Formats: sequence, structure tokens, C-alpha cells
Amino acid sequence: MTDLLANLGLGFAVALSLQNVTLCFLGCLVGTLIGVLPGVGPIATIAMLLPITFGLDPVGALIMLAGIYYGAQYGGSTTAILVNIPGEATSVVTTLDGHQMARQGRAGVALGIAAIGSFFAGTVATLLIAALGAPLTRLALIFGPAEYFALMVMGLAFAVVLAHGSVLKAVAMILVGILFATVGTDLETGQERMTFGFGFLTDGVDFSVLAMGLFGVAEILRNLDQTETREIARARIGRLLPSWADLRQAAPSALRGTAIGSILGILPGNGAVLGPFAAYTIEKRLARDPSRFGRGAIEGVAGPESANNAGAQTAFIPLLTLGIPPNAVMALMVGAMTIHGIVPGPGVMTKNPNLFWGMIASMWIGNLMLLVINLPLVGIWVRLLKVPYRLMFPAILMFCSIGIYSINAQPTDVMLIAAFGVFGYGLIKFGFEPAPLLLGFVLGKLMEEYLRRALTLSRGDALVFLERPVSAVLFLVTFTILAAALLPSLRRSRDAVFTEA
Amino acid sequence: MSDASDAVRRTRSVVRAPQSFVAGLGLVLLGMFGLWAASDLPRGTLGAMGPGMLPHWVAIGVAACGSVLAVTGLAREGAGLQTTGLRGPLTVVLAILAFAITIRPFALGSVASPGLGLIVAGPLAVIIGGYATPEARFRELLILALLLTAGCMLLFGDLLNLPIPIFPTALIEAASGTIPSRVMLRLAAGALALAGLGLLALERRSTRRSRTDVAPHAMTT
Repeated sequence: MTDLLANLGLGFAVALSLQNVTLCFLGCLVGTLIGVLPGVGPIATIAMLLPITFGLDPVGALIMLAGIYYGAQYGGSTTAILVNIPGEATSVVTTLDGHQMARQGRAGVALGIAAIGSFFAGTVATLLIAALGAPLTRLALIFGPAEYFALMVMGLAFAVVLAHGSVLKAVAMILVGILFATVGTDLETGQERMTFGFGFLTDGVDFSVLAMGLFGVAEILRNLDQTETREIARARIGRLLPSWADLRQAAPSALRGTAIGSILGILPGNGAVLGPFAAYTIEKRLARDPSRFGRGAIEGVAGPESANNAGAQTAFIPLLTLGIPPNAVMALMVGAMTIHGIVPGPGVMTKNPNLFWGMIASMWIGNLMLLVINLPLVGIWVRLLKVPYRLMFPAILMFCSIGIYSINAQPTDVMLIAAFGVFGYGLIKFGFEPAPLLLGFVLGKLMEEYLRRALTLSRGDALVFLERPVSAVLFLVTFTILAAALLPSLRRSRDAVFTEA
Repeated sequence: MSDASDAVRRTRSVVRAPQSFVAGLGLVLLGMFGLWAASDLPRGTLGAMGPGMLPHWVAIGVAACGSVLAVTGLAREGAGLQTTGLRGPLTVVLAILAFAITIRPFALGSVASPGLGLIVAGPLAVIIGGYATPEARFRELLILALLLTAGCMLLFGDLLNLPIPIFPTALIEAASGTIPSRVMLRLAAGALALAGLGLLALERRSTRRSRTDVAPHAMTT
């Protein structure tokens, strides 16, 4: 306990330096901005801004990038409530009751409860990271290659189960991602794989290029297909602070949402996205009068909003302790860390305590800032929503091009984002989700490395994964959840979680 | 892009879920392509895996998923193919290519493009890209392009010092020694911003006179 306090003290000392506070603020501001704007997500933005952080010190750079990520969760709810369009994928559920509240003239209260719930969830998640950091790091140190491999397989299995839609399509996407990851020079033998003699493929496909194509460019193409209907709630926003009665009604939901979001966020495999859906479903089940949901129930805003923020933050746990990115944004963080010469994993906490604890402390400070950025400034964000998409996407296009070019100064990288953009657009058109592909791509490289190492150590005996207790348990979990996802009864309830919302 | 709506075509043929069927076939093709691409790589043994081992098996997995998907497309009723307009994807790809080719000298075989720098590549991407939607208006895009480019030059070139070429290579060679590059950058950005703002003011005035409803350009830096 005293250790924890001392560590948090160190963290706050780092995070409260003038430079880091400024960077944290900038990150939160940019995060809110892209959260508010539908069609620009944190993945594309962080990929775009990666080159900007080259000149910063690693702590500041990661504080800023983290701020963008959780800031986007706050901003996304503003759009969901006022315009009935989810600003982010995680705020889809908020549109249901949040927008209804806005229609009833309670937009301010909805925004207020969303922000307060998020702040509460953020605080809890910050403490959770701080508390779990040390034990998990110790656990990670006894992990060998077999355990790491098993853990990543489990992560991918979770990604399959937690993805929307067809299980088969999600599995296919993950495999395609792994296949893409194998392009480039083989690390162990130095042999070029599937490069077809193209020089620019020698180093493989850059992760930010793939992310920008699938999530930046493809998103633009998808949005261009839909004619815009943006109807900002005409009614006044009204008072922002919820009344006592509102707070009392929302508090249990916020608590449950925080718990659900935190747990799902830790799971490798993009659990953070499922958090709000699960929270909404549970709130509806528990409510005395479920028919109020969808008609402006305050619990339907408090629960999911707390869940998405908690999940966004606990997603840092696997990254910081095990070095395994649970989702695409965290994978970009890996990229940012490697650029600065930091190897993500259990070593971060011992070798770079400044970075580890500074980042955690900055999250709490960032959450506090976001409260200020979001509530009083909501008028500015509403005006931003009036910018028509026909002006927004050329700007995004240009920023994407500049951002990607600046990473490696390769025109071929810029061309590749166009190619992956069209590819991603095709995937969407055929009902595939690009998120599992990206996760497969990220984990693919690590998985191959650990698989090879584990099998070399065991002299080619594949049973090693079942002989070592930890990896055997992890594989057991993997098979159980995969089997469960394929069972008809569970499949139906899994679909229900997504469709009900 | 009149056909951009999510039209679901119901076919009465053998294929009962065209979307899954075509998607499955696509995956099979991708898997087979992967198999072929990895065929010349040594696979090694489990104890000493070669570079070809993982790609080989993953490609088989992709193809297997694809064939199952295609079969379900035959067996079970499901979504039809979605139609899509070509205007959006083609224009956006063109805009990105224009940026990639003009940002710095780029050699494709024996033909090399002149490096024109951000000052040309940026507006090119914005204006060409803008035409991806039929609502595009040239004036509006021009103003956006000028202001955004000015902002990006200052942000990326001046403030952040990223190694991104700003001016055409020919111009840099001609101007080397006469004007410091920083000064030139700031002057050019200022000129672009002024031109953009001037056009914006003109446009505002003319719209006020003609009383047509034009959306505000609030987003430009």
C-alpha cells in the first residue's frame, strides 16, 4: 500500500511537470475533437500524429497519445447525445437513451451524467492499473515463450468472440491479419518473405500504414456512401449539472458500468468495445421498468459511458505489464514506445518507472481536464459538428497523407494507404470487420516469434503447450470460449447483446 | 453515385447468400495466393521452423475459412451484395496517389516525377479528393486547400521540423543561398493563408449579396 502511494507520488511528480501537463491537455483536446467528429477515430489520428511525437521525450509522447485515446471516448458521447450519431464505435449505445434525453430537453443532464460517469470510471480504472501493475508484472516475469504464445492465442479467441457478426468471418480476418504480418524479412533467417522483389516490402508492412488505410481511408469511403443526415438537437442544452435525484438514479449504473468496462477492458482482444453494449444490456435487465430504456433512461447513459471509459483505460494493463497490445490503439502505442527505444512489457515498470507511473498519473489528470474540456466548452463542440463532411474528408485525407509520409519519408507508404483503404472498404462491403484483422496483424509477428522459440526449446514437441500448467490453462480457456461462441444458445444471446443495443 | 444506397438484390439462383458466397471465394483466392507466394520458402520442421512454415499454414487457414463461408452462402439464406459507386473510391485513390507522386521525386521505372513539395502536393490532394462527393464546389475546396496547406506548412515544417519537403526541389536549388529556408517557408505560408482568407471574404460577400445559403467554413484552421 505504501509502495503504491509512493509510486503514485512519483507518477504525479512526473505528470505534473509543465511540459507533461501541457501535452496531456493537448492530447485530451485533440481526443475530444476527433471523438466529437464522426468519421475520424483514435486509430487514424494516433497513426497521423505519431511523427509529431518523434521530437518529444517518450513520457510526454505517450502521455499525449494516451490522452487522445481516452479523450475520444468522452468526445464520442457528445456527438451521440446531441446528434444521434456515434462519434466513436464505443458510443453507439449512448445514442439510444442519450439522444432521447436530448429530445426531451435534458441534453445538458445527459452530457453531464456521461462526463461524471466517465470521470468516475476513469478514476477507478486509474487506481486499478496502479494496483494491478505490480502483481501482473511479477506474473509476466515467470512467463516463458509457451505461455506468451498461449496468452496471445487466447487474446485472438476473445477478439473473435467479442467481434460483431459472424464468428467465421472474424476468424478469417484474424488469419488474414497474421498472413499480412508475415510479409517482409524473416527475423530469424533474414530471408525475404512474399515481398515479390519490391524494395518497400522488405521491412514488411508498417503497422501505421495498415491502420491508416483500414481505419482512415476506408472510413472516408464508407462515409461517402451515406448521405449525411445530421440533426443537432434543436432544443436548448439546458443545465449541465444533474440533480440529486438524477445522480442517485445513475450512481448504481455508473458503478456497474465501471466494473464491467474495467474487466472487459483488461481482456486481450478488444474487450473495451464490448463494454458499453454489455453494460447497457445489464442495466436493461436489472431495471424495474425496462420499457423506459430507449426513451431517455438516465441509467442507459451512465452505465455504457462509464463502461467505455473504464475499458479504454484498463486496456493499458496488458500493454504495460505483459507487452501485449489488446487492441489496435494499444498496438500503435507499442509503435510509439519502440520508436523511443522502450520495449513494452514487464520491463517497463522496473526500467522506466517514470514512464509507467507518470502515464498512469497523467490519466487521472487527463480525466479531470476532460471534465473541464467537455462540460463548459460543449458549445464549441456543437459548432464543430456543423462543419459539413464534404469539407472534412479532404482535410482528413491530407492529414493522413502527410502523417504517413512523415513516418518513413516513403511515397510508397502513402500509396499503400490508398490500397489498404480500398481493401478495407471492400471488407466492410462484404460484412467483414477490419478490427480483428489489425489485431491479428499486430499479434501475428509476436506470436510467430514466441511459437518458434517455444518449439525450439521443446525440440519440436508441440505438446509443450499442454504440459506447462499456465499455458495449458490458457489454452483450455481459449477452447472453452471458442466452443461457447459456437454453441447455438450462447450465440443467440451474444447476437442479442449487439442487436438489442 | 445514385446507386450508393444499400440496395439488397435478391437473387433466386443457387446462391442464397451472395455476400457470404463472394466473400468466401475472395478469401479462397487470397489464401491460394498466399500459398503460392510462400511456396518457395523453406518450411523447416517443428523443432526448427523455417520462414515458410507459418505463412503456409495460415494461408491454408484463410482458404479453409473462405471455402466454409462460400458453402454457407450456398446453403443458408443471407445478405445480398451491396452496390457501390465508383466515384468515391476512384477519386480518393487518385488524390492520395497525386500526393504520393508529387511530394518528392519518385521514380517509376525510367520515368521520374518532379518533387514539388507539400505546397503543391497538399492542395492537390485536398482539391482532387474533394471531388469524391458530388456536392463538391471548387471555390470552397480551393479556400480549404489554401488555408490547410498554410497551416500544415507552419505546423509540420516550422513548428515540428519534420523532414517533409515543402517546396519544389527546383525552387529550393534556385533559392539556396539567397533566402534562409525558414523565412521562405513563413513567407509562403503567409501568402497562402492571405490568399485563402481573401477568397473566403470574397465568397462571403458574394453569398450575402445573392442570399444563397452556404454552409460556414468554420473548420479551416
